[in-house]
Amino acid sequence: MAEPIHLEDVRKEYRTAGVTHVAVDDLTLSLPAGSFTTIVGPSGCGKTTTLRMIAGLETPTSGRISFGETDVTDLPPQRRNCAMVFQSIALYPHMTVRGNIGYGLKIRGVPKAERDAKIEAAAETLQITEQLEKMPSELSGGQQQRVALGGAFVQDPDVLLLDEPMSDLDAKLKAELRVEVQRLHQEMDATVVYVTHDQTEAMTMSDHVVLLNDGRLEQFAPPGELFDYPRSEYVARFIGTPSTNVLDCTVEETADGPAVVGDGFSMPVDSLADAVGETVRLGVRPQYLSPDAGDHRLDLTVEVVEQLGTEYVVHATLGDGTRIDVVSDAVAHLRPGDQFVAGFDREHAFVFDANGDTVLFGDAPATEHAPNSTP
Amino acid sequence: MATADVPGGSGSLLSIRTQQRVKRVAVYLTALLISVFVVVPVYIMVAIAIQSPAAVFAGGNVNLVPHSVTFRNFAVLLDTTSTVTYFANTLLVTAGSTLLSTAIAIAAGYGLTRFQFRAKSFAARAVLFSYMFSPIVLAIPLYVIYYRLGLVNSYFGLMLALTAISAPFAIWLMWQYFQTVPIALEESAWVRGAGRWRTLWDVVLPVARPGYISAAIFSFAVAWNDFTMARVVMSNDSMYTINLGASLFLDRVTIGWGATMAVSLLICIPPFIIALFLQNYLLQGFNVGGLE
Repeated sequence: MAEPIHLEDVRKEYRTAGVTHVAVDDLTLSLPAGSFTTIVGPSGCGKTTTLRMIAGLETPTSGRISFGETDVTDLPPQRRNCAMVFQSIALYPHMTVRGNIGYGLKIRGVPKAERDAKIEAAAETLQITEQLEKMPSELSGGQQQRVALGGAFVQDPDVLLLDEPMSDLDAKLKAELRVEVQRLHQEMDATVVYVTHDQTEAMTMSDHVVLLNDGRLEQFAPPGELFDYPRSEYVARFIGTPSTNVLDCTVEETADGPAVVGDGFSMPVDSLADAVGETVRLGVRPQYLSPDAGDHRLDLTVEVVEQLGTEYVVHATLGDGTRIDVVSDAVAHLRPGDQFVAGFDREHAFVFDANGDTVLFGDAPATEHAPNSTP
Repeated sequence: MATADVPGGSGSLLSIRTQQRVKRVAVYLTALLISVFVVVPVYIMVAIAIQSPAAVFAGGNVNLVPHSVTFRNFAVLLDTTSTVTYFANTLLVTAGSTLLSTAIAIAAGYGLTRFQFRAKSFAARAVLFSYMFSPIVLAIPLYVIYYRLGLVNSYFGLMLALTAISAPFAIWLMWQYFQTVPIALEESAWVRGAGRWRTLWDVVLPVARPGYISAAIFSFAVAWNDFTMARVVMSNDSMYTINLGASLFLDRVTIGWGATMAVSLLICIPPFIIALFLQNYLLQGFNVGGLE
């Protein structure tokens, strides 16, 4: 039975040589039963620690964790009915694939016939039937990962935890296994928590994304919302490739009223009347910058042009040296050193205040956009 | 061994080819030198053991090229000495000490790698430091302690004494080996519902097998080849180990060189068999310990 997962003010501190390091800083989350949540963030942001606390492999310094109505904070990992897939895959080298997949069932005392039936069903789903009698060392990386997934699958857990399971695989296998993991999620009755540092995985697979920054929750929202309504400059830059362009600007009183003024453009924003004279930062996704179009123009100098299939990424600089990326299919003719103009519309711009919090999504003040799924 | 394929340092004046040739010659020369010191004595032992004393010393010379093979020397051992008892004693004490030492090494090695506790690295270093003492240094104090405890002339007492000598290195070996067993293997078993003991049994020990076999072989070698501790602990002739017993043979008029070499040959057989069958495990275990 899939259970909702609740984290309440969960905090984890490590003490090394008298220095206290906060790995997870008062995290509160509610993951709905049966949902697929991805925890994403850069290395060392506390995402794996969070996952290990849900698994019971680490004990929170303070705060409570519960699965549905059950408080599991003090339960050992053995009694949580979790399944976990590790970054290092962690197959038992001395057991066959069959033994590896069925080990959890064996511990629970499931009779051999029933065990074998479940193992074979899982192997079929994961297309590793041929490999059942082999040893893990005889398998390729992708097959090993399938075996690890199979072991989690046969256990019928309430909660399935995956700790960067694909970080060691090549791009093609990653794409294949992404689909496999989602298929398993549909077949399983489990709440899935998936940790990754790869925002593409987070965006493509999950119902909800938890973005952590240095142990603190930066934003918890569905992927689309994270992309369109990032709560802060940090979220805007982390989610989406290439990263969101950020320009230093000031709010000035102009002939058209209050406006965000930057290098060569002036974007009127009435709602910032109170903020005249303040420094702000303007965020525009590379996808929303188009050559020779848009209401507000930037004069750019091309540094590098990368081809990505039908599209191109132009890495350019503004007059003041700010780096700006433009994604477009109409820039194939550009060469390093060329001058060109790219523009954006106000509705696609984010405005961040000096603390990095988003104050405007296009026209709308951030306060007016009340994300429905944020705790 | 693994370095044989690696090309020589780029800073060297010699070509890689020459370096490899020099290296090969050096390896062969070293092997030859060692074998002179090992193979020749072993050969002399075997040659004397399998000939009758009359044949060996015929004509006033020591005749090292056997013309006929006889088991007479072994028969003398059986008839006139307690060799069989000595062997039985040695087997008992060696088996006990090997088991004990390996069990201690597994427990201590696991604890040192998997648990955090106060003064952990100090404990680990102290263990290795205790290995620096020669058995003879420990012998007299040990005798005093044993005398008080009533452990003199007991098999268990000798097992403990031998374990004290072999355990430090065995612990160090297992400590190193357990560091190579990924903790994720254990965590994966815990999440699946296995307790610590079950995990140790199902996962950790099978994966650490080369490590504990090496530790066991080492402990076996220490116990089997021991002389000092048996000399200190045992004073009753019927409880002597074979090394101790055999060392006394030469003092006896009835036993000659032939029988002495025959018993030496017998002493060599068990270690030889173990080295033969378990050398792969031994190499794997010691490689991890950084002794490649």
